[in-house]
Amino acid sequence: MWGRLTFLLAALVIARPALADPPEPVQPAPVEPAQPPVEPAQLPPADAPPGPDDDMPDDVGGLERGDPDAVLHEDNEFGPLILIERVDITGNTATQAEIIRRALPLSPGDVLHSSDRRLRDARFKVLALGFFRDVSLAIHKGSVRGQVVIEVHVVERGTLVLNRLWFGSTDLTRWWAGADVGERNLLGLGIAVGGGFIYAHHGDFGGARDQYAAELRASVSSVRSSRWGTSWAATLVHGSEPFRATCDDVPATQMQPQCAFDYRRLGVRIGATYDVSALTRLSFGVRAEAIDANLPAAPIRDVGGVPVAVDLHLDPGASRVVTASVGFDRDTRPDPILPHAGNRFAVSAELGSTFFGGSYDYATIFGSFEQYWPIAGDHHALAVKLAGGVVVGDAPRFDRIHIADVDHMLTPRALGLVLSTAAPLSILGTRADKPMYGDLGGSATVEYVFQLFRGSGKKAVYGGDVFVGAGVWGLAERSDLRARDAGLFASLPIDVYLDAGLRLDTDIGVFELAIANALGRLR
Amino acid sequence: VRRAVAALAAAAAVAIAAAPARAEDKPEYQHMRFLEHGDVLTMSTEPPGGIGKLFDAAAYDALGTGIRSTVVIRIQVTPRDSNDPVVEQLIERSVVYDVWDENYKLQLEERGGITKLQVKFHADALKWLTAIDDLPVAPLNLLPPNKVFVLRLVVELNPVSKETLAEVRRWLSQGGSGGLDRGGTFFGSFVSVFYNPKIAEADRVLRIYSQPFYRPQS
Repeated sequence: MWGRLTFLLAALVIARPALADPPEPVQPAPVEPAQPPVEPAQLPPADAPPGPDDDMPDDVGGLERGDPDAVLHEDNEFGPLILIERVDITGNTATQAEIIRRALPLSPGDVLHSSDRRLRDARFKVLALGFFRDVSLAIHKGSVRGQVVIEVHVVERGTLVLNRLWFGSTDLTRWWAGADVGERNLLGLGIAVGGGFIYAHHGDFGGARDQYAAELRASVSSVRSSRWGTSWAATLVHGSEPFRATCDDVPATQMQPQCAFDYRRLGVRIGATYDVSALTRLSFGVRAEAIDANLPAAPIRDVGGVPVAVDLHLDPGASRVVTASVGFDRDTRPDPILPHAGNRFAVSAELGSTFFGGSYDYATIFGSFEQYWPIAGDHHALAVKLAGGVVVGDAPRFDRIHIADVDHMLTPRALGLVLSTAAPLSILGTRADKPMYGDLGGSATVEYVFQLFRGSGKKAVYGGDVFVGAGVWGLAERSDLRARDAGLFASLPIDVYLDAGLRLDTDIGVFELAIANALGRLR
Repeated sequence: VRRAVAALAAAAAVAIAAAPARAEDKPEYQHMRFLEHGDVLTMSTEPPGGIGKLFDAAAYDALGTGIRSTVVIRIQVTPRDSNDPVVEQLIERSVVYDVWDENYKLQLEERGGITKLQVKFHADALKWLTAIDDLPVAPLNLLPPNKVFVLRLVVELNPVSKETLAEVRRWLSQGGSGGLDRGGTFFGSFVSVFYNPKIAEADRVLRIYSQPFYRPQS
């Protein structure tokens, strides 16, 4: 089967015609013989239309050897000076005109050249709201000579978004299904709302029960056209958490969890964002969460015939999590869906404390960095992706790093629910009993991206990339790193993963179809 | 694993079905006229070629909106068997309609300098934006006799900077997910379904290449 897949991908690569190179040319033709020097073309007077035989200006002074970094002078302005008398918004039926006006980089009273960059940028500032299929601008005469009316015509689009679909089947969960949907422009007010729900039917697993989780969200990306945004989210989790311990008379000698305990989480998050620049954002948040966990009295594991206490990283009964967080995000990728250039850097730190009224004192730092380099023209790219985190202190179980966070070939958590107990594939032969949760983890991936095709926007499928990647992941409890009872390599809590798939950018959304993702729905 | 491979194969089939979109990227062959003028090589497009097709009806109408329209022409002369340009040149031509004077203000910019002019009629504005007639493309001393070259043109209408593109699509990567899958923000990938209009890198792009040519030994 793998051979067939390789063949299929190879066939796609081979079948694709070279776009950068012209086909085999016809026979070379000689340049026509040297002509007597021609007189520089006469430019017409500024107010004269060119006749049919007019030449373009004949200036050769600028010819130089190839300079791929040649930059045009973009801010040169010409054309008449205009005073903006009024801005008219047309075409909007749901979106309030004020939302559009706030996004514009110009306003009545501004004086500028009609070629001013702000007039060109205005279209994209409005498109960046994400509410419109198209935006066009036009200038009309105002009431007095020199004054103009700017017309901004918008074509609205559906702003309902299907953010996530969850489905699959594993030993722990006989089946699960769920979806996360959102509306990005509620009642035309520019407010984004959304929510997700997932239900998971438990499998034949000691102590497990059906799980469900829900989340409701609302956010405003720009409050009254300022750089500040705000967000709110409420969550409910009715879960069943697998763990490695002896239960129901089944000794926990295997690497996979054998039983589960019940818990419930009810929480709220309030956040604020600040756009430092068009591509850089700071975020701040607070979170309060109530946890009710029905923990086993004294969970133990049998490790080589020795009973060892298991730390489930939760207080029994009722407890609270109260945190404050700060984050930074910078994304310079021109195309975040099919990236071939640019980078994204994100880091977030969260502090939970009994000082805030919580039951846990801890801190977490998560970060990620992705860099894409185009290679051999525009059709290939190489990416390096780094992601990692560290948890310090007495963090609740759910805020620790789960093994599926770092090993892409495992079933990821969905709305906080653990849906699989599959052990990671042991490819390197390193430490066998890698933890389900850790306080130190990360992954490093190298990915090759091949551009399968690109459209101009008139097609339903705008573009597609094939990608192949490999990476190293690691997850550990720092306490486990202090001592080892095997050789260094056999004790390392790391392994590798492989992935390959297809990314599609279409007019109904974006899709990533990957082998690792498919594995995660079935194991 | 079998199911995963089957899913991927299905996705590949979708991609293949969409492959006609590639045609829009294909460079187009045009016969061009090359002349030696003094110590430079000049080039002219020949009917029915040229870059006029850059403008469809909507783009043509947009010349009269008063908003700047810009044509950027990148000209490369490369050896026939290489993609490395011997000479590269960038030309930018812009026009804005003056709603009060009711004429078109043009600015033609190349490395030799900037030329400004104005014309009365819509069609003339288009002509100045798209005419390629005896355009100097290379000093002759960079084109050894009997060596075969190809001229390539990439012509963009209203190109968009990469930073602007990133800004317009930024909301796609920031997601709307709340707090429960925080780890996924850093470690995971995403799939999303929504009405997704394409913001292209330019309103229209033409890629053109010439017949191979050489300078005969004199």
